[in-house]
Amino acid sequence: MRFNGWAALRGYTFLVYAFVYLPIMLMGLFSLNSSDLIAFPLTGFTLDWYDQILHDSRIFTGLLTTMSVAFPVTLITTVFGSMAALALTRHKFKGKFAFLALLVLPFFVPKLIFAIAQVTFLNDIGVGKGLYTVWISQALIILPFVTVIIASVLFRVDKKLEEAAGDLGATPWQTFRLVTLPLMKNGILAGSFISFVLSNAEYTVSFFTSGRAQPLSVLVASDFRFHLSPSLNALAMLIVFFNILVVVISEWLRRRGVQPE
Amino acid sequence: MSLKRIDMARRLSLLALIGPNVVFIALFCAVPLGVLFSYSFFQVDFVAIIRDPTWDNYVRVLQNGTYMGLILKALLYGIGIAAICATIAYPLAFFIAKRVRVYKAALLTLLLIPLYTGDLIRIFAWRVVLGAEGVLNSFLLWLGIIKEPIWVLLFSPFATTVVLTYNYIPFMVLPLWAALEAMDDSYLEAAMDLGCRQLSVFFKVVLPLTGAGLVAGFLMVFVLVVGDYLTPQLIGGSSGVTVTSAIHDMFGAAFDWPTGSALAWLLLTAMALFITAVTWLFYKSPWGRGIRGAK
Repeated sequence: MRFNGWAALRGYTFLVYAFVYLPIMLMGLFSLNSSDLIAFPLTGFTLDWYDQILHDSRIFTGLLTTMSVAFPVTLITTVFGSMAALALTRHKFKGKFAFLALLVLPFFVPKLIFAIAQVTFLNDIGVGKGLYTVWISQALIILPFVTVIIASVLFRVDKKLEEAAGDLGATPWQTFRLVTLPLMKNGILAGSFISFVLSNAEYTVSFFTSGRAQPLSVLVASDFRFHLSPSLNALAMLIVFFNILVVVISEWLRRRGVQPE
Repeated sequence: MSLKRIDMARRLSLLALIGPNVVFIALFCAVPLGVLFSYSFFQVDFVAIIRDPTWDNYVRVLQNGTYMGLILKALLYGIGIAAICATIAYPLAFFIAKRVRVYKAALLTLLLIPLYTGDLIRIFAWRVVLGAEGVLNSFLLWLGIIKEPIWVLLFSPFATTVVLTYNYIPFMVLPLWAALEAMDDSYLEAAMDLGCRQLSVFFKVVLPLTGAGLVAGFLMVFVLVVGDYLTPQLIGGSSGVTVTSAIHDMFGAAFDWPTGSALAWLLLTAMALFITAVTWLFYKSPWGRGIRGAK
């Protein structure tokens, strides 16, 4: 396109990305620095902080709790998100807008108010907090994201393929199982990966709805409120690298699902 | 199968798809919000909740300048940060949509990754950067550019603004990118051929054609900023008192669930009114033509 500011725009884009990645890069740098203080000048290279975190039993217990939340949440959101995405992209119905509004309701309610509503609700029906209360509340918050990801794949799957299956005598169930499901498979995988990552990262809602067993994010939060230690840098970097890995795989899957081979 | 039976089967499958979702969200999100709403009419007596409906909580909150000020502050922060995000995101989204070919997917993914690391890690990273003994201050001291650490970097409205912008910018870039991607370049070419200057091309062509994306991004960032509870608390210092932290206090130490619920519902109402007003104005404005389907 005819426009003579591309070079400036390229530089600008680079600056924004630097702004986005600078904090994470610096965290990585200082997770390898030998000093106790997170400050310049750098004092020397060490892997002690990583060693410390990997041998911290409290962190390990937190990680186990995080995992025992993340897997059920991923399962719930992937099943419900797939169903919602199918309804939104493959059906015309009255009240579609209302259904969409209900789906994104947990996104529009501030997390703190959502969490407090959960607490008063549990209090009223007399149910104690536990892992399952975290499952449900996290699943509600993550569901809109998963639905959008799966729907974004379904939108681009050619509907004629499904119509052809129907014309050739397949029942709706056969059409779904043999045509739609294989075509949306990558979207489902991508959605489930993102769900897993979002569940790991979630703090506010987990803090309010978790009982005695506290996920890693809640443990870390109480640590860094008072004391910034380079070992927290190391832990954060491990989480960041893990997330990058999962997100990249999921994006790769999603885009492979969109572009026909 | 007869057409009637196929129609029946489709209806049943639709019911099977939306039914569980509606029940799940209604039961575990709408009902809890309703319970919270009911609490806003109750009263508290030492450690007991008295379930005797009254408007007192709303009257008290509405007459309290501090609480109303906090709601106003939250809304203004939401609008302000959304505006900053839009300003930063437009050129970026334009570049990615119109110039980048091969690395488009990679750039968009790269933008989203920090989002997936969670609020806590992002805030932690910024504390490391902005602290009085943090990376930025120590770097500037080391270079000799400053003699004293700059205290206001962290625990200030400045820090809150930077981190909130950082947190939610992807929610602005993505809808803008999608809108720009869908915009036909020939409109731009035509405007420029007809002698329109670049800045007015933006205001007269690009902005109206991507209005829907802008409004979507603006509302998302607005909602997320108003609802953000961690960032002002962990980054804002004494300026970090927000309406959400006030609500939290009433459910924690103060044990005043009814007033907390009333404040929460007033905030929700204010947000809903703002969102409705913006959507309605956009829909009625010339920019909303594309959505209305008018010529």
